[in-house]
Amino acid sequence: MRVLVIEDYPPLQKAVAKGLREAGYAVDVTGDGEEGLWYATSNEYDVVVLDLMLPKMDGMTILKRLRAAGRPCHVLILTAKDTLADRVHGLDAGADDYLVKPFAFEELLARVRALARRAYCIKNPRLEVGDLRIETPTQRVWRGKEEARLTPREYVLLEYLAMRAGQVVSRTDIWEHVYEFNSEADSNVVDVYIGYLRKKLERPGRPPLIRTVRGRGYALGEGP
Amino acid sequence: MRSLRARLLVWTVGGMALLVAVFGVVVYGVMRQSLNRSFNASLAGVARTIGATVKQEGGQVEAEFDDRDIPAFRHPKHPDYFELWGEGRRVVQRSASLGQKDLEWCEGDAGEPRFDDVRLPHGRDGRMVTLAFQVKADPEEQAKQGGLAPAPVTVTLAVARETAPLNADLEFLARLLASATAGAGLLALLVAAIVVRQGLAPLGALAGRIGAIREDNLATRIPLDGMPTEMEPIGRRLNDLLLRLEEVFRRERAFTADAAHELRTPLAGIRSTMEVALSRLRKPDEYQQALGDCLTITRQMQSMVDNLLALSRLEGGQTALQPEPVRLAELIEKCWGPLAAAVEARRIACRFDVPADLVCTADRANLARVLSNLLANAADYTDDGGRIEIVAIAACDAVGLKISNTGCRLSQDEVAHVFERFWRGDSARAATGVHCGLGLALVQRAVTAFGGTVDVGVAGGLFAVRVRLPAAKA
Repeated sequence: MRVLVIEDYPPLQKAVAKGLREAGYAVDVTGDGEEGLWYATSNEYDVVVLDLMLPKMDGMTILKRLRAAGRPCHVLILTAKDTLADRVHGLDAGADDYLVKPFAFEELLARVRALARRAYCIKNPRLEVGDLRIETPTQRVWRGKEEARLTPREYVLLEYLAMRAGQVVSRTDIWEHVYEFNSEADSNVVDVYIGYLRKKLERPGRPPLIRTVRGRGYALGEGP
Repeated sequence: MRSLRARLLVWTVGGMALLVAVFGVVVYGVMRQSLNRSFNASLAGVARTIGATVKQEGGQVEAEFDDRDIPAFRHPKHPDYFELWGEGRRVVQRSASLGQKDLEWCEGDAGEPRFDDVRLPHGRDGRMVTLAFQVKADPEEQAKQGGLAPAPVTVTLAVARETAPLNADLEFLARLLASATAGAGLLALLVAAIVVRQGLAPLGALAGRIGAIREDNLATRIPLDGMPTEMEPIGRRLNDLLLRLEEVFRRERAFTADAAHELRTPLAGIRSTMEVALSRLRKPDEYQQALGDCLTITRQMQSMVDNLLALSRLEGGQTALQPEPVRLAELIEKCWGPLAAAVEARRIACRFDVPADLVCTADRANLARVLSNLLANAADYTDDGGRIEIVAIAACDAVGLKISNTGCRLSQDEVAHVFERFWRGDSARAATGVHCGLGLALVQRAVTAFGGTVDVGVAGGLFAVRVRLPAAKA
């Protein structure tokens, strides 16, 4: 899941980005309104965490421009403005959620998770593909009755594939939604992590869970 | 007397009662005079009638008048009296009502009737008219007898009448007038009470309206339509007062909201940093870094809270300023100390031109706060490789200080807002979170409190703050 954080207060920007990264999200960060709008329009983000009072361009303008441009990303407004009028105004301008500072980081994570699910039209926080079971709030994975121990990076890749279960997911999609910009120069990283997942999840004598669709990408579960 | 109602009532009713009483007294006086005059005229009339019947015959005078024919002289309770004296106060004739008694003797004036209040023979009060006149002998009679005309005889005629009925009439009149006065007074009281109540009703209504104004409905205004003309200025002033109050309350609310807002962001920073740090077991250096971050934020918050408190105390007049002579150069050097290294690292050129002997009058602690704020602003907003100039000069009774820096991205319109609490330019937002928009507000309040002035200007990217402080008294 790729998240954009537009927040101008450096310590908060740093903490939010760190927390989200540790939760397995690919996070891009900016503290500048204009740059934030440019990021949000030129990349596919699942969730945008947006502060309202920003230099150069305020959050409401960014939100309106994003919606006017038809960007489908889910926007969570994260602001110190707490009045009823502010919340209503924010949600009516096209935000999907509104969280007032200071906040519990757990709540921010839960809300980002909920918005990320919604990005793939999923309501149930428990994903099931065949006998594979993923609990997104706790990030735990079972194959049948046996729990699989995944690293955060392996987990987010699996979660992304599970959210799009039955579809062919291209490497570019994975690259854009799961891994951070510039963090890995080698695009083989996707194949490497698919390999790790297979090692931990595939069981001999059972049909493969992650299929390679030659020339197009990967698919989880039954499908075309 | 503090009650307007009582005052109006007392003055109106008192005035009207006095008016009616004076009127009654005047009417009584006029009526008394008129009744006395007609009483006297009637008495004189009777005397003249009797006088006309007095004849002289051979030196003997006699009135050819029989009082027994006149009902007034026969009145059983208050009969009239008359007595006629010849020369030498010899009684010639007297009315039957006198019996053998005499009326009081009063010397009559020739021609003019004389009126006297006398005691009547029966011991009652009465009034008497005295006429003195000469009676000539009848010439025809004289001729008949062929004698010489005898000399005219001077006679005195007195007619008296009891005054009790007149006094009774006057007393009745007096009572009538007194009761009329009392009645008019009572009526005036009633009318005045109603009029005053109605007249003061708008005051009560106004009090009600003012009483209904609370902190949360300061936007209400007192309607001036239909208000009595005399009260309109009061209503207008009250509305002006409400407008000012509303503005002050709005500012205070905005300030509180802004303060809460500005404190929330760093709080969110601390909380998130800590929660993220605690979310899993980490290496010591990661904890160290999180703690360092929290400490930085805490320092910023502390500086903001200090500024907030200083600002609030300055605005509330709670700061006891202790003006003393302060060497400007010394204080500037002290405040510049903590900033020097960072400024040098950013290759900013600095020029100080502050005469060492320049002394101004100010509260040392607050002036230090002012200078720290101004110098920190200059240091933080100057572009890398830019220039800062700090110049002070002595004017006749003031010290002028100018701090200017390059790299200002504020427009002329934006500069007008720099003294507002929590106002921040766009570039300030992009900064490190150190500036929350209180510094210049604090500078302005403090300098004003010292009796100085401060203004800012921007031209071609050069931002300049000019502070004028009172010079030290020689």
